Amino acid sequence: MIDFNKLCLNNGLRILVHEDISTPLVALSILYDVGSRDEDPEMTGMAHLFEHLMFGGSANIPEFDKPLQIAGGESNAFTNNDITNYYMTIPSRNIETGFWLESDRMLGLDFSQKNLAIQKNVIIEEFNQRYLNQPYGDVMLKLRPMAYKNHPYRWPTIGKDISHISKVTLNQVSDFFYSHYSPQNAILSITGNIKAKYAFMLAEKWFGSVEKRGIATRDLPEEPTQTEEQILTLEKDVPSDALYKAWHVGRRIDADFYTLDLLTDVLAGGESGRLYNALTREKKIFSDITAYITGDIDPGLLIISGNLMEGIDIEIADEAVIQVVDKLRFSRIPNNEMDKVKNKFEASFVFSNSNILNKAMNLCYFEFLGNAGAMNKEVDLYRSVSPEMVIEVARNYINPSNCSTLFYRSKKKARK
Amino acid sequence: MRPLQRKIQPEIMPVSIGKIPEPDSFSLSNGVPVYLIEAGSEEIMRIDFIFKAGLIHEDLSLQASTANMMLLEGTQNYNAVTLNRLIDYYGLYLNLLVEKDRAGVIIFFLNRHIEKVLEICQEVFHRSVFPEDELKVLLNKRLQWYHIDRERVRNLAMDQFFESVFGKDHPYGRQVQLQDFNKISPPLLVEFHSKFYSPENMAIIIAGKIHSDTITLLNKYFGIFPSKATVPMEAGNVIKSEKRKKTFIEKKGAVQTAIRLGSTTISKRHPDYPGMLVLNTILGGYFGSRLMKNIREEKGYTYGISSVVSSFELSGYKIIGTEVGKKYTKKALDEIYKEIMLLQTRHVEFVELKVVKNLMLGEIVRMFDGPFAMAESFKSAWEFGLDNNYYYNLAQKIEIIEPDEIMELAKTYYDIDELYEIIAGSR
Repeated sequence: MIDFNKLCLNNGLRILVHEDISTPLVALSILYDVGSRDEDPEMTGMAHLFEHLMFGGSANIPEFDKPLQIAGGESNAFTNNDITNYYMTIPSRNIETGFWLESDRMLGLDFSQKNLAIQKNVIIEEFNQRYLNQPYGDVMLKLRPMAYKNHPYRWPTIGKDISHISKVTLNQVSDFFYSHYSPQNAILSITGNIKAKYAFMLAEKWFGSVEKRGIATRDLPEEPTQTEEQILTLEKDVPSDALYKAWHVGRRIDADFYTLDLLTDVLAGGESGRLYNALTREKKIFSDITAYITGDIDPGLLIISGNLMEGIDIEIADEAVIQVVDKLRFSRIPNNEMDKVKNKFEASFVFSNSNILNKAMNLCYFEFLGNAGAMNKEVDLYRSVSPEMVIEVARNYINPSNCSTLFYRSKKKARK
Repeated sequence: MRPLQRKIQPEIMPVSIGKIPEPDSFSLSNGVPVYLIEAGSEEIMRIDFIFKAGLIHEDLSLQASTANMMLLEGTQNYNAVTLNRLIDYYGLYLNLLVEKDRAGVIIFFLNRHIEKVLEICQEVFHRSVFPEDELKVLLNKRLQWYHIDRERVRNLAMDQFFESVFGKDHPYGRQVQLQDFNKISPPLLVEFHSKFYSPENMAIIIAGKIHSDTITLLNKYFGIFPSKATVPMEAGNVIKSEKRKKTFIEKKGAVQTAIRLGSTTISKRHPDYPGMLVLNTILGGYFGSRLMKNIREEKGYTYGISSVVSSFELSGYKIIGTEVGKKYTKKALDEIYKEIMLLQTRHVEFVELKVVKNLMLGEIVRMFDGPFAMAESFKSAWEFGLDNNYYYNLAQKIEIIEPDEIMELAKTYYDIDELYEIIAGSR
């Protein structure tokens, strides 16, 4: 049970505080309701570029990191399709520095041509490192546009084309900031060795005077229902063939999220998953195989991916996956297997909330979903999933016409 | 009310590491040492089972790591499928761990499952059977990983770095070769397992809200196996660095080049080590380090660059690592050498040193925040025969070190002619 206090400032900033006196530290997390789905299709990668720029100095403070480090703090951030999340931990006695820094970069950034130019370069190298210079690194650049035709989930957070980032101007950067970074578009959480009253006082002091800005209205194109199976074959310089399959599913806040999540755990949660047992241990078709759901705000994907063993035909491997998955549509999962995936979830939930930084980030995220208190109901929601519910979601979603399949073939192998 | 002073940092207090407790220690009836770290508020525990079963003990590449990874692939009482189902059923998070000197298992669990956890671990450590079929699956999988690894310039450079620095025949430096995958067989693993996964090579570190039956249960499941006399490590494991300092590894089509620079150095047991850590942090140990500032934040050559000082049982080493855009390779190298020389010739400025001192002290606070972090930190001192006093000494050194000493350390330990320069990429 994570108990917390909540306050909303006049400018719309929501604040959540959870006290934990077992630590000398405080964690501070701030979530902005902006992700790569909010980007112009001709200017993708902006949200992530911003995450970089946010460390380059703000309205009144030339450097972000140095004052934080002097106070013994440490910080980082991440961007995904839906959100941008900044976080730090700092000795509790110096927490005010955290409020000072975070509020100033909400107030305004130091938009400099030089910083922009450098961060563009850094991101190009990030793109090279993660997407180009890695075997299978570009998979999401290929799979996403297969699954999504209209919705901005069709590009990854880094952007669909790195030239978008190279072309961004300072004006565009500043527009993006003022139309997304604003108190009513953010959620702040503070966890650790701090009294709620003191945290609220500091929040009022530092964030209270940041004025509300007009947030760009979000009018995202809806993704049409997929009606036909899609298959794409790529041939690349990779050591072995790999298979990727994506089915459309629902939103993170839909009731069947929990059922779907457990369904993927039945398939591939740990080494005892069905796909691993059947296709790696028994049939020796895949060397590795995983399944997960993306859990996005807008309708997401259920993804299964695996690397093939030497000498296995990729279409046969695909058939084998379908066979295992199809079984979920017809036969009831035994109770002890359901218990297994639920127990595993409960343990991971307890572990993840044994640390103040995770607690801070989770509080932000659940508040973003609608209500931070819902976090405490998660275990029960997972527990309430029945084998019949799994059959139902399997029937609803796991159909060939709802699926995109990517055959990622090895050129080397093809040559042999 | 006074207007808000946004340009001035709120007053900060000195970062203090507070009190770091030593774990309680005792021995099982067969002499296995156990360390208990009571901390945290959740009903969860972490147990580290540590064995002297690392790479240093293997005769053949892949032997130590495969022996470790096969621990969960079948025991006398449970086959691989059942064993893994049990692990998942009880919600256990079980990490296999193989390092140069040690190997073992770290397990996280909800306290109510303690007896089941220990029963499973007893099976895993004392009744492992290394079935042929599971071994085949595992080796095939590892062979695939191996091929994928060899596609990454960072792995090519890193493996070559260890080979150059520790020698191609030493277990610290030996690179895995394709033919090694054919040499591993069940008997080799059984032999390795019985020799090294034994009570005399074992230690246990437990952290969390410790269950009251823990000690009794540990004796029940692990105290019953007799210890043999320990055999000293065979001599012949002599570190012999390669003569050639510069190596280029061709990787066709690579858009980035991996750079690894470094050499052997003092280990954690050496009195200069804490000072070395301060020096390393200034050079490349944090986001605002000189290498990051210069090569990422000023030039944009890379997504990241870092330097590390680390220790194995027989030797310490230092390494600078980065992946840079192909066309920046030469420039990045020049800048790295320039930064090292700057540390040898110019005093670190007060503000920079102050930042580094405080962030390092903050890091020590984080290293003891919560039971799991405490276990990790204690372990990394204990492995070198040290205890948590090491961290007090480190904190003290951080507080008192002066620019003079940092410059001396840079001159003593960063002789540029001694550094190995490994480059992997396309020409």
